Amino acid sequence: MRIRTIALLLILFGMLVGFNFAHAQNAPEASEKGKQVYENSCAHCHGIEGRGDGSAAENLLPKPRDFTRGLYKIRSTETGQLPTDQDLFDIITEGMPGSSMPPWDTALSANDRWEVVAYIKTFYDGFKEAETPPKQINLSGKVPYAEQSVETGKALYTELGCVECHGDVGRGDGTSAPDLTDEWGFQSWPANLTQGWNFRGGSDTEDIFKRFIGGLAGSAMPAFEGDSFPGFGLTAEESSRMIELDNKDEMTEAEEEESAQLYEKYDAAVDIAVNLAEGTELSAEEKQIYDDAMSVVYEKSWHLANYVKSLMPEKRPEPAIGNNVLRSQYIQGELPEMDDAAWETLEASYFPLVGQVVIEPRQFNPTIDAVNVKSYYNDTEVAFLFIWDDRTHTTDETDEETGKTLEDALAIQFPVKVPQGPTAPKPYFLWGGRLPVYLWHWKASAPDQVTELTAKGINNAGVQEAQGELQAQGTYTNGQYKLWVKRALKTDDKKDLQLESGVFVPIAFSAWDGANGDVDTKRVMTSWYTFVLEPVPSSKRFIYPPLIALLSVGFLFGLRAFVQRRNSEEA
Amino acid sequence: MKSYLLASLAILLACCFVGTAFAADSGSGEMEMLVFPEAYKAMKVNNGGTISGVVKFEGDVPEKAALEITKDEKVCGADPKFDESLVVGEGNALKNTIVYLIDISAGKDFDEKAKTEIDQKGCKFTPHVQIVPVGARLTMLNSDKIMHNVHIFSKINKPVNKAQPKARRKMPLKAVKKAEGPVEVKCDVHGWMSAWVSYVPHPYFAVTNEKGEFTLEDVPAGEYKLGYWHEACGTNSKAPVAVTVEAGGTVTQDFTLKMK
Ligand SMILES: [Cu+2]
Repeated sequence: MRIRTIALLLILFGMLVGFNFAHAQNAPEASEKGKQVYENSCAHCHGIEGRGDGSAAENLLPKPRDFTRGLYKIRSTETGQLPTDQDLFDIITEGMPGSSMPPWDTALSANDRWEVVAYIKTFYDGFKEAETPPKQINLSGKVPYAEQSVETGKALYTELGCVECHGDVGRGDGTSAPDLTDEWGFQSWPANLTQGWNFRGGSDTEDIFKRFIGGLAGSAMPAFEGDSFPGFGLTAEESSRMIELDNKDEMTEAEEEESAQLYEKYDAAVDIAVNLAEGTELSAEEKQIYDDAMSVVYEKSWHLANYVKSLMPEKRPEPAIGNNVLRSQYIQGELPEMDDAAWETLEASYFPLVGQVVIEPRQFNPTIDAVNVKSYYNDTEVAFLFIWDDRTHTTDETDEETGKTLEDALAIQFPVKVPQGPTAPKPYFLWGGRLPVYLWHWKASAPDQVTELTAKGINNAGVQEAQGELQAQGTYTNGQYKLWVKRALKTDDKKDLQLESGVFVPIAFSAWDGANGDVDTKRVMTSWYTFVLEPVPSSKRFIYPPLIALLSVGFLFGLRAFVQRRNSEEA
Repeated sequence: MKSYLLASLAILLACCFVGTAFAADSGSGEMEMLVFPEAYKAMKVNNGGTISGVVKFEGDVPEKAALEITKDEKVCGADPKFDESLVVGEGNALKNTIVYLIDISAGKDFDEKAKTEIDQKGCKFTPHVQIVPVGARLTMLNSDKIMHNVHIFSKINKPVNKAQPKARRKMPLKAVKKAEGPVEVKCDVHGWMSAWVSYVPHPYFAVTNEKGEFTLEDVPAGEYKLGYWHEACGTNSKAPVAVTVEAGGTVTQDFTLKMK
């Protein structure tokens, strides 16, 4: 018994040690093997010479990394440092969410991945020239997640200017968001901080901390290490005081003096930091000043990381299938208006959107993650609330290439006739074909209006002549659209969808982000999902079951009669 | 989930098939560069000569259109801002042209007192073209009390992308080690802000003023190639002008540039 326990402990210990070793691994020497793997698996996007210009690169955004400049976004190392071999290996293994870089954990053996790491390092001489290993970000001072820390982080979010690009509540909708480019001149959208699942380098608090301290080299995201912090070299209290004084319209003489002294201390610490960055040896006293300053910076950065973490759900919502199918909830009386608190109590169904890549022009670089939907219905009407994030509010912009008007929009798609049963054919998901679809088309330029369309194909849609009585209301706040739509369950129009409680109805979405060049077929969309008017009206609970039972019995009798008749005919 | 996966697969497949040959052209891409000597030795220059002249613009001067100020209007929009890629003054004087010696290998040392600063005031970089000696710090000033983000698109040196929050009145940047330039300086917060910085290995660089004037002083006697660079008019690197400097003498060399 005891021996087995010891053996088990040894095995566990071995696993732990092995695990640790795995996390300090270095790549082998570059070899022919690595070149071969690279050219087979990577060059298509990253180019034979590693310049990020492979044959597939044109359509991708974010662009495949150009390896020739040694700029890597996702690193465990400090600003201006190269990544570790392990960083490169991890990215190849895990891929980069929100980009076209897939995980290679199954397609390539670990050995091959290490060979590739060695090979891509040959594209940039800096790896060879580096005399010391890259300096890793110290994670030891982690501040645990707590309300107070989140509050402190929130204040820093504004003070440091995060808000300029990432927006008031973090949806990547800051006023500077549309103007950002990366080091290669390509558009670089700031992260939507409420969608951690799209973070290229993961969304653990540690990941966020590392991105913040180390910067995302090559992107528009600046690094905030060290002397970027206002009041570097001051204690937290001193720097708040400095900012407080700055914000005064007028200072007394004593305050002027105080402010000047704080700035003097601040400038001196900055000077030390720059000296160090330039490779100057610091005196013991300077080193102390620098270390103290950095510990303040690190602590603030943990608060900020905790705040960012607080903006996102724990994990990506499950798509609206299976148990998560969109279920419109029955209520008696008036359906809630757009601003009604009744919407808050409903869980939204999550419909992930992907670029439309079947028909030209395509969208390879979607900017809208998903549309979230809630719904209520009563005896005569149904109301929906559609919610989706879009970094920019675009109502009238001209596409430079095509001259077309670009604007944000959403379309909700249903079949005209609900297929009878789960195996009955549905219309083609790209706006129908032989079987037509019925659409609600909403545009940001006319936010309180929804147009009914009938379509028999993505390029074959027409506005319905008889527009039904649809009510709509659309808003845009803090990088998020909300659209409220209400319609009667039944209409007189044969081209409209007719709704009935308990029937599963196919539903699909298309969305356009004007600022991303979305127009016509260039859009993001879903395939067919389903929604149902959830049949749980409690007052009817006592009517329906007996009714169904009766009908079933009737049906069985009918069936028996039918079978008997057929049998007698055959005989 | 299945449709989700299918669509992702479709994207991957489409990437494979749609990919066409493509030459990377990264917008700010092929800017013409200055030419630097392979080595430079600083020494004492006695009785050097002077090269001076005026740079003029030839051609239709596009009408001055105010830049669109899209944010921080209070600070940035106090007075109209204009595109500074082509500033033509009285008598067609061309401002912001770099005039320099291409092939000098020995001469005076840098003037240590020369300020290597760029101010951000009213959401505009001043000066628009700045020369910074290799090994010296470029100091970014922030007179605006709002946030700017200094983004220097270096290619040979490490690019700089550093936030300058409102309380950072003065942000010295780490000295660079290699000659390079001009490279663009942008502010990511205010997309219209633009300037150019050149990291140079010797002090024989001048930037023309409003009158289009430049002066290079203390040039050791000898024959040199005189080059220019202008943001909108390009360079003469392929066919620089030859000048002969005599001890204590002054050479005048004017330039007339056209849009490239
Ligand atoms: Cu700015």
